[in-house]
Amino acid sequence: MQAFDYKFQQLDPVKSFKRVPGPEMYVPGHRTCAGCGPALNYRLVAKAAGKDTIFIGPTGCMYVANASYLCTPYAVSWIHAQITNGGAVASGIEAAFKVAMRKGRHDGPFPNIIVMAGDGGTVDIGLQAMSAMMYRNHKVLFICYDNESYANTGVQTSPMTPYGAATTFTPPGKEIPEGKTLFPKNAPQLVIGGHPAVKYVATTTIAHPLDLMNKVRKALSQPGPTFLHMLAPCPKGWLFDEKMTREMARLAVETGMWSMYEWENGVYKYTNVPKKYKPVGEYMKHQGRFAHLKPEHIAKMQAFVDEKIKQVSQPIPVAAPVPGKQ
Amino acid sequence: MAKAKMLTGCRAAAEGAKAAEVEVICSYPIRPYTAIMMELAKMVANGELNAEFIHGEGEHAQVSVVLGACAAGARAYTGSSGVGVTYAMEVYSPMAGGRYPVQMSIADRTLDPPGDFGSEHTDAMSTRDQGWLLGWACSPQEVYDNTLIAYRVGEDHRVMLPQMVCQDGYFISHIPDEVTLGEMSQVKEFLPPYRPIGPLSLTHPVSHGPQIRPDQGAPMDAMRAQTFLAVPKVIEEATADFNRIFGRNYDPFVEQYKLADAEIAFFIMGAHANTARAAVDRLRKQGVKAGMARLRWVRPWPTHQLAAALGHVKAIGVIETSTSYGGAMRGGNLIHELRASLYDLDDRPLVTSFMGGLGGETIWPADFDHIAKVLTQAVKEKKVRNYVQWLGM
Amino acid sequence: MAKELPGYGTIDVPKDRVVPFGAVTPAPVCQQDLFRTSNWRIVRPVKDDEKCTRCLICYLSCPDACWVYKEEEDVMEWVNNFCKGCQICIQECPSGALTAVPELDFPDGVARLDKPF
Repeated sequence: MQAFDYKFQQLDPVKSFKRVPGPEMYVPGHRTCAGCGPALNYRLVAKAAGKDTIFIGPTGCMYVANASYLCTPYAVSWIHAQITNGGAVASGIEAAFKVAMRKGRHDGPFPNIIVMAGDGGTVDIGLQAMSAMMYRNHKVLFICYDNESYANTGVQTSPMTPYGAATTFTPPGKEIPEGKTLFPKNAPQLVIGGHPAVKYVATTTIAHPLDLMNKVRKALSQPGPTFLHMLAPCPKGWLFDEKMTREMARLAVETGMWSMYEWENGVYKYTNVPKKYKPVGEYMKHQGRFAHLKPEHIAKMQAFVDEKIKQVSQPIPVAAPVPGKQ
Repeated sequence: MAKAKMLTGCRAAAEGAKAAEVEVICSYPIRPYTAIMMELAKMVANGELNAEFIHGEGEHAQVSVVLGACAAGARAYTGSSGVGVTYAMEVYSPMAGGRYPVQMSIADRTLDPPGDFGSEHTDAMSTRDQGWLLGWACSPQEVYDNTLIAYRVGEDHRVMLPQMVCQDGYFISHIPDEVTLGEMSQVKEFLPPYRPIGPLSLTHPVSHGPQIRPDQGAPMDAMRAQTFLAVPKVIEEATADFNRIFGRNYDPFVEQYKLADAEIAFFIMGAHANTARAAVDRLRKQGVKAGMARLRWVRPWPTHQLAAALGHVKAIGVIETSTSYGGAMRGGNLIHELRASLYDLDDRPLVTSFMGGLGGETIWPADFDHIAKVLTQAVKEKKVRNYVQWLGM
Repeated sequence: MAKELPGYGTIDVPKDRVVPFGAVTPAPVCQQDLFRTSNWRIVRPVKDDEKCTRCLICYLSCPDACWVYKEEEDVMEWVNNFCKGCQICIQECPSGALTAVPELDFPDGVARLDKPF
């Protein structure tokens, strides 16, 4: 079978803040909460991707809050998908463009096809479609904007909600003092563990904008499926002051609650590894969703994070350049 | 003129899709429609069809994949049977409301429980409220023909709706019959290329499906209903064109067999119509003025056309190969809308129903004789004793 | 045989309630004016230009793209129509150039929209 010529776009790494692409592809004028982490996430992703992009938006905050009413903030083409089928709709779009290019109806470039799914739309109700898309080698970037809950419906637990978090489906009470008793799924590991066609997987946060944008561009330059897991703190869901959204993401990395890494060809590259990890309490104390926890619960969380941290290897210089201070 | 080949309904559907030069196909295996996808897979692998053949992870995914493909401007095709059809239920309304004219080829199968492979129409009939065009074939030839007609109607800019082209599992899908395939010139004359409206494009960016304002919910529904008012005319035009180009003789909505002077009539859909026709001939020989009306489109339901075709009949027996438990007539799905179609006539025909062919059973000539007896008795008594009876039980 | 059968009536959707075909809307270009969020805020960020180092962190921290770097004038400009007053920029500014000032202190404060949406 003849290899398909994707006519890749030229998406060079962004070397500094001043070189960040100017045009906004996620424009102001949307109904997301003040200080919304996912909204900042979308803005940075859209900037990095540029104008030859098609977004697929499964139902969630980044659909409902952005697309009310009868208008959207996407300056590029965008389509709503069900929360169940982001990966599937994206697969269909990718296939349609391949045929159109083969038949000469579309000259190129091949569009950046990006699914912007919440954590539920990635690992819960959307897991089947996401996994199948990864398996079928579509040239699609699947991004999980992780606000660690089903936020749009009023903050219910999802498989990415951390242990001990209060949500409306995991309220703390006499019988269940922690609130949430289960530990979360590990989304990037789900992808890395079983999909031979996946080309690149990485994690990042909204507090690392150059890192985020460069990982988006690197993913979009691959000839197959890619996955990015982005921490996008949610002031309403996590119950912290909305001006602290970026600070929460930074603290997540500094405490080991969130690890920054890339995976490519079986090799992990960790970055932003703290010389000394702050205790998880430093992160959790700001967030009302953890306010009900007792010391024994925090200790359980610390033990979980300590295990996770053990997997982090020595820091290795990465391909996506990160400036000195962020 | 092309020679007729012996093809099964599944093969005929695949040939129709190939003639229509579908561009994105999404497969998933479930009996008995799977053979459609197996044929298409061979065509794609051999380079006979320039299409992307995507292995969907399930039926819900199949319909989702073709939605995306159609939104991006490709002619898209998929299919299913039985519980696969109902599994994809979530996506049907977004497809129809989003005006994406994909085609889904259904080879009917009984719904679980339990795993029964026989044909019942309930699978596709369950989706009839979702806004798709929905019709049934009674032969492999008609499956091929309907594939082309449905694309032509669905992609018409006055319509822009997805279509389900249905055939009875096993009876049509797996038993070969004579099919004359169209020449490329005929197909090209009949079916223009798909012209999407506002597709996902890099040069003309659009947003597909933002939330609508609260005061736009009812208008959105009303506008979808309004489209269906325009569909019958498009079906009539398309069928007339098809008949002319391919040399067929389809009534656009209702096949009327010896109906003009009939006193009793069978109202039926799908494969068992073939037995019904033979029964009509037999009854006529015995001096009974029998006739048959075979429904070709369930959505849009041809209300006025049925009233015109059946209004003069004294008693109608609806043969139901689908179930609607707890429904008004405690039987199947067709009788309710048929009775509604005839309700406003001055001299209403008597209408009763017969559950037959369920679970993929054969409806025997003797069954039609029995139905004729019941109808004749009803005419004599000037009333219907029961809304429904179950053949053989 | 048949008196005139009922029809399906007509449907007249008022112009201001019509939904675009297939719910497909054009993409916005630079901003989505149908959703101005300026009346959400109770404080606005005020910049001390002498302290501002043009580090661009405010520009990259705002979910609503309300800080723009004007290259020719070499100055950061604030976007009035969309700022929700979340104060992320104020929190993140490394040189303390931004302070939160109550919206009501400004003559054009608490921009009111004609309709909610």
